[in-house]
Order: sequence, then C-alpha cells, then structure tokens
Amino acid sequence: VDKKAKPLRPLTKIILRRLPPTMTEEAFLEQVSPIPEHDFFYFSKPDPSLGGNFCSRAYINFVNVDDIYLFRDKFDGYVFLDDKGVEYVGIVEYAPFQRIPKKKKKKDPK
Amino acid sequence: PEAPAQPKEEEPPMHQFIRKILHEDLQKSNEEKILRLMRKLNWDDPEISYVAVQHLAGGWRVRASARRALARLTAELSAWQEAVAPAVVDTIMEEIRLTMEDPHPRYNQRRIATARYLGELYNYKLLDSRDVFTVLYSFITFGVSNDHSTISPLDPPDNVFRIRLVCALLETCGAYFNSGSSKKRLDYFIVFFQNYYWFKYSDPYWTEENQFPIYVKYIYQECLTTLRPKLTLCTSWQQCKDAVEELRQTLYPELGDDEQDENEDQGEDSIAD
Repeated sequence: VDKKAKPLRPLTKIILRRLPPTMTEEAFLEQVSPIPEHDFFYFSKPDPSLGGNFCSRAYINFVNVDDIYLFRDKFDGYVFLDDKGVEYVGIVEYAPFQRIPKKKKKKDPK
Repeated sequence: PEAPAQPKEEEPPMHQFIRKILHEDLQKSNEEKILRLMRKLNWDDPEISYVAVQHLAGGWRVRASARRALARLTAELSAWQEAVAPAVVDTIMEEIRLTMEDPHPRYNQRRIATARYLGELYNYKLLDSRDVFTVLYSFITFGVSNDHSTISPLDPPDNVFRIRLVCALLETCGAYFNSGSSKKRLDYFIVFFQNYYWFKYSDPYWTEENQFPIYVKYIYQECLTTLRPKLTLCTSWQQCKDAVEELRQTLYPELGDDEQDENEDQGEDSIAD
C-alpha cells in the first residue's frame, strides 16, 4: 500500500482537546483568534455516546511549523470557560492523524 | 448494547434518517442505493455534516457483517465529500484516545469493534499504514509504566484489554503489512508488542490461583502466528527486553547504551521543542 521511502514530512496538524462540550465553533474562534496562517480548520462537537468524557475539540493545520510552538505556548493549558463558567483546561497535541482534505473542491452532481 | 448517556431528546428526523440508513439498513447488497442517499444530504449544513461524520465513524454501532460495507461507503463518499474521510478518521482516533484515558469495561465491546473498523478503513485507504502503527503503538505505550512496581491507572495490571485491541486491529489489516516499509514496521512492532505482552503476562498480579486469562494468551498467540508463521515467539520478558535492545542497537547504533528513547514510531503525543 505504501509508496517506497516517503520523505518524512513535519507534523503540521494539531488538535486542541478538552474544550467545553457546549462550546460553539464561533465562540471558539472568538477566543483563539487570530489563528496564525493555516489551511485547515475543523471544530468538532463532542460525541455524546462516550458518556461523561465528552469534550469539544478543534483541529488546525498550520502552514508554518514555527507557529505551532507559539500556538502551543499560548493554548496548551489555557483555561476555556463554558457558558456556566465551568473551567476546561485545553491541551494542544499533534493530531495522531495528519491528513487533511484535498484542496480541490469538486461539486457533487448527486 | 450501550446505555444512552444523555437524557433522551427527540432526535431530528434527518438525524434519525441518517442513523437508520447507515446503521440499520446498510448491507453489501444495498450499498449503492445508500451511497446515493448519503450524497444527497445537505453537506453544507454543519449540523447534518457533523451527524453524518459521527455516524460514519460509528463502526461499532453496526453489525459485524456490515462493518466493511460502512467502511467502503465512507471511502466512496469521500470521493464526493473530501472532508469526510479525515473527519471520520480523526473522530475514531479521538475515540480510541478517550477510551484509553477512561478504560472502563463498559466500552470494551465498542473498543474492539472500533479497532476493527479502523482496520477496515485502512483497507479502503482512508489512512496509511503509518497511521495504523501510530494507533498500535499507542495501545502498548499510552500510560504504560513498563515497570511492575509502578501501577498505571490507565493500564492497571488486571486489565489486559489492550492486548486484545492490538490483535483486533492486526487481525483486520495486518495481513496487508507484507511488503516494503509496512512489512518492516510490522516486524518491529511485533518485537515491542511481545515485550508489552510479557510485561503484562509476568505481572506479579497473576498467580497460581489468579491466572492470566488463558483466552487472551490464545488470541495473542493466534494473532502473531497467523501474521508471521515462521516467527519464534519470545518465552520470557527478559527475552523480549533483549530483543528490544538488539533492535534498538540495529536501528540507532549512534544513540549509545543509555538512551531510553528506543522507538521513533511511537505516537508522539506531546509537542516537544
């Protein structure tokens, strides 16, 4: 399946975990903006089937590797508040899965 | 069966529809039809696309016989909705991580099914072998103490479930790791997996009266001998440790003898400078 000797690409996609479960994408963006240059952003609400463990999370693919460290320094351990004032300590990690959607967008004729 | 954790709210009809066609109706014979229905969803509606991704990632929700069909449908749908594939894999990776952070037995069935589903998604090329190994290594390293005197709450001595997760994933897609870099990756992983198995197996928690679960031993042996029929399995933890050390010397002779950092393939969880 794999092509031979793929060059190691630097990790560029991060995940910001443990965000408040009730947080909206808009509220998240408001708090972290401006996000340094990036070509992919995805905010996901929690999976309610995972009982009490659920939190929101966000993925960002950075264009410049150095921005990752700055972002990490700022938001790893950053306290996010939900609408009732409950604190959620965010963590920044490399996303275990680094793929992002391809750029070209074709319209599904359906 | 999973007890609904949330108080039941009336699910919007469109959500019910997506759940029904993916988790109840889908089977090999009607896949084309369901793919057409999925393509017709209003993917520009964030709520609908969220629910669709959630259900496409829900390989544990479907019958085992429909799991492959759901994986193939996800792959085919991704040709039209390119954001779907990475979102589904991300969702599954997060689930795997969360259920390692909270290894409650209520998730066990689900965890096995999810591991198999991830393997199916690999078979349909939604992820690379590298990603599969990231998950495999996370099973044998995340919160693992590698020392019987240090008990990890994330991987306590009596919990041998991660061995089963590794086997479930390898049973689904390990047969494809048979050439080139993926073959090599599997060979290396098997060394580390044996080491983890023996770490668990030789834990003083297990005694004559309270023996290591025999069925887990069988699953482990069966899995490895199926993948590598000619391999002689290690028969002690010390043997595994020696094998790990030998592999480290071969791969990273420049690291010298005292380095602990023995494995580059481990899923990197933290962002180091």
